[in-house]
Amino acid sequence: MNTDTIYPKVREIIADVLAFDEEEIQRDGSLVEDYSAESIDFLDLVYQLEREFKIKIPRGMIEQEARRGVANEDFEEHGRLTDKGLAHLKEYLSEVPEDRFTTGMQVSLIPTLFTPETFCKIVLREMEQGEQAASD
Amino acid sequence: MFHFVDQILELESGRHALGIKRVTAGDTFVQPNAGGAATLLSCIIGEALGQLGAWSVMAAKDFTVRPVAGVVGEVVIIGEAAVGDSVLLDTTIDSVTDDAVCYHAVASVDGAVVLRLENALGPLLPMEQFNDPNEVRERLAKIHHAGDSAGKYQAGERTVAQFDLSFDEVLSFESCKEATAVRTLSGSEAFLRDHFPRKPVLPLSLLLESLLQLGQELLEDGGSRYIPTGARKVKMSRFVEPGSSLVAKIQVTERGGEDALLKFRCEVDGKRVCVGQADYSAVVGESQ
Repeated sequence: MNTDTIYPKVREIIADVLAFDEEEIQRDGSLVEDYSAESIDFLDLVYQLEREFKIKIPRGMIEQEARRGVANEDFEEHGRLTDKGLAHLKEYLSEVPEDRFTTGMQVSLIPTLFTPETFCKIVLREMEQGEQAASD
Repeated sequence: MFHFVDQILELESGRHALGIKRVTAGDTFVQPNAGGAATLLSCIIGEALGQLGAWSVMAAKDFTVRPVAGVVGEVVIIGEAAVGDSVLLDTTIDSVTDDAVCYHAVASVDGAVVLRLENALGPLLPMEQFNDPNEVRERLAKIHHAGDSAGKYQAGERTVAQFDLSFDEVLSFESCKEATAVRTLSGSEAFLRDHFPRKPVLPLSLLLESLLQLGQELLEDGGSRYIPTGARKVKMSRFVEPGSSLVAKIQVTERGGEDALLKFRCEVDGKRVCVGQADYSAVVGESQ
């Protein structure tokens, strides 16, 4: 299974959550910049994805995963990403177009990078982990 | 007063709660229905269910956080609660995390369901920003008691002025198509004193009620009448504070012989604050 399989359903949910038509949703669009997603929308989205795909998405997971393997002081300094942190984030959010990352960007602005594909990846990972847990 | 749980009969912190709302003639949010009987606004029954869930969550989190309105997956309006009725409120918490509560709830009168809430999601925010935690604690102690106090309960006489649900101005109105209306929160509205003492904001329940009523007028066309049967995918994305002018746009997306569907979107300064859909059912045999 890959993200292509689940994208249609994820797009449908995103369109629903953000009150857009499905056709307007671009797979690499920024949910915040292009579709005005607010914090309640991310909450709504996570709950709807959990219900639809019968998975559990840990809160704050994207940022935690992005930080994995990097010490806190190497990842950020005074609330801004270090060069190392930025490189790590780019690698983790590989689906996000390169030009949206800015040097020294604020950690609090990381959610502005999230795209529909970001959520497809999360759903897929959680589904696969769920299957693994079930077969263990 | 913007508190609608008169008594909590059972409280399982973070799991479930059972409570009562007694409808009196003195209630601010009582209005005559089509038949002239004084009934509690449907959205206030929904508010009461949400408040009951809030009690359960606030107790579970030791009054450090409180839920606020976020998303209501579905509200189903099935019946009414008239003056003199005791509404049994039953709220079940599906999940609580550090940042949100998810719940469903049902309200009934004499064993018959009058309203249901499904897939309601409320973000949890620091209580200090909204209320004095000690006051909240004391209020819970006051209303949480077993036993029937029905003996003291009287429907009473109408003593308060009816709450004005209408918008300040209807900017556009095209029957059976769409309407735009504006309402500015002045800051002197009585409900703001309780909602919330430290951060007065427009309650989603009242906004939804006024949208449902405007939608009802919009659907009327000579002979046909429609009544609201619920709402879906209702989401509040920002607080509406005193001084804000809320512009509501309602669009009829379906209007048939049996039912109708409306979409609404409210904005403050061009920013989305509330979106959702409303369902209506045609009233048969009441053509004028």
